[in-house]
Amino acid sequence: MNIINTKQLFKKYGSVPVVKGIDLTVKKGEIFGFLGRNGAGKSTFINMLTGIIHPSAGSFSLFGMTGPTDEVKRRIGVMPDYSSFESSLTAMGYLRFLSELSGNKASKEKCLSVLKKVGLEGEAHKKTGKFSFGMKKKLGIAQAIIHDPELIFLDEPTSGMDAESVIQIHQLIRELNSEGKTVFMTSHNLDEVEKLCTRIAIMKDGQIAKIGSMDELRSYYQSTILVKIKHGEIPTSEVNQLTEWLLQSGEGLEMKEKHVIISVNHEKRIAEMIRAFNQCKVDIYRVEVEEASLEEIFLDEQTGHSIRKVM
Amino acid sequence: MFAISKREFLRLMKGIKSIIIIAILLITAYFSAKFSSLLLTLDEFTASEADIIHTAGFLVLLLFFGQLFVMGLSHDVMNREMHDRTIRFLVTRTSRLSIVLGKFLGVSLFWFTCVAVSFLIVFFFSHSFDWLSFLQLMSLLIFQIALTILLSVLIPKPGFTMFLGVIVGLASPILGFWLTLTNNPWVSWLKFATPYYYLEEDYTFPIILVLAAVLLAVAHLVFQRREC
Repeated sequence: MNIINTKQLFKKYGSVPVVKGIDLTVKKGEIFGFLGRNGAGKSTFINMLTGIIHPSAGSFSLFGMTGPTDEVKRRIGVMPDYSSFESSLTAMGYLRFLSELSGNKASKEKCLSVLKKVGLEGEAHKKTGKFSFGMKKKLGIAQAIIHDPELIFLDEPTSGMDAESVIQIHQLIRELNSEGKTVFMTSHNLDEVEKLCTRIAIMKDGQIAKIGSMDELRSYYQSTILVKIKHGEIPTSEVNQLTEWLLQSGEGLEMKEKHVIISVNHEKRIAEMIRAFNQCKVDIYRVEVEEASLEEIFLDEQTGHSIRKVM
Repeated sequence: MFAISKREFLRLMKGIKSIIIIAILLITAYFSAKFSSLLLTLDEFTASEADIIHTAGFLVLLLFFGQLFVMGLSHDVMNREMHDRTIRFLVTRTSRLSIVLGKFLGVSLFWFTCVAVSFLIVFFFSHSFDWLSFLQLMSLLIFQIALTILLSVLIPKPGFTMFLGVIVGLASPILGFWLTLTNNPWVSWLKFATPYYYLEEDYTFPIILVLAAVLLAVAHLVFQRREC
């Protein structure tokens, strides 16, 4: 079931187009990651879907309903890119007020439980004016989930947080997803997106340049798998045969003392190489595999400078 | 909507500016009621004037400075949220109409409470409750609140609405009463658009509520199109 469906969604400020006709579907239960440079249009896209700004053209539906209707708003949770809170309210007061606005005022126990989940236990009665940037980010996440929404929009949820908090928020996102909630997030932390997201879209100049799972993105970019094999003694009679087989499996072969380094374009080739070693009666002690990271794919898309690519 | 109005009401009640204005209103109501009998001895009043003499000081205060007080307290009722981007937490949860109406109800409830308490103080001295003055005054304040909300939606900068609030607050009663009383045919027709024209004892004050509704409708239309 598609939870988000956009058709040629377009946004311009004055005469400057920021989002240039995006077609996108997000299915229930996904953790969808949106990547792109600053100004690529990620936040503008989320802001259109959540009713913060209006599209210049195109249409979208959430839960099959066109536009952010009141019912849709009750079913979504939004953490905007800029979390600013009324400084005179406490964290607890804010959560209770916003949950009431969503139609279901949260109990004090529920607020405390959500604050604990985001790492703000003990801060419930502190005024938000005294919160640090990271704490405001956490409260931004807390308010987005306080009313148990089915679809959660998180705009750079972990930026400005310390490492321990980032791990805690990652755990929370996985937990929310395991409860059946759909998460749509943007991030500059490529490692975070790679670890968390089931599907990823890379935005460039207001358009989706590439979309898919990590495996699909790797295949789009024909990215290579770098294989390092530590092996035992190769019988002199088998050296030529083994070299020939290895060259059939991949390229860039380097054979150093009891080490082989080779690039392959599919994991099936790794199995072929291991078979070749076995047939040549060469012991294998260690196999290391390095795939293209999202960072490499992202850089490749944004700059065209590939770190590793099949020639 | 009610969550927003409750928050707005409580925020106004807690603010230092509100406390000062409440104090001015209550002190004026108390002393004008207390010394109204003294006023009766100083001049000749008609029977109907004598009836409302207890509320006179309080009425004059709000007729001439009501807009200033309302704008002083609530000039940034909408644009502060947009400026600080706290509005994003609201627009992603409820309709924009609910936000405008919620703010309007909250501010109105605050002024209703202030005026009602002031009239009760007067009632303590006069032993009569002047319903017509009360309803007329509330209608006027409702119009002024709607105008304040409209300006706060139209002008995105809170600093500018604060400045404008002082100008509008001082100019609007002067302009309103002048338009009501002037015979100049070029501008006298504008009196129908000012609330002051409907403060006669002819029960036309509900028209002020219609004017307020028009202002609120415009505020909603503008806010509906606004990017937050």
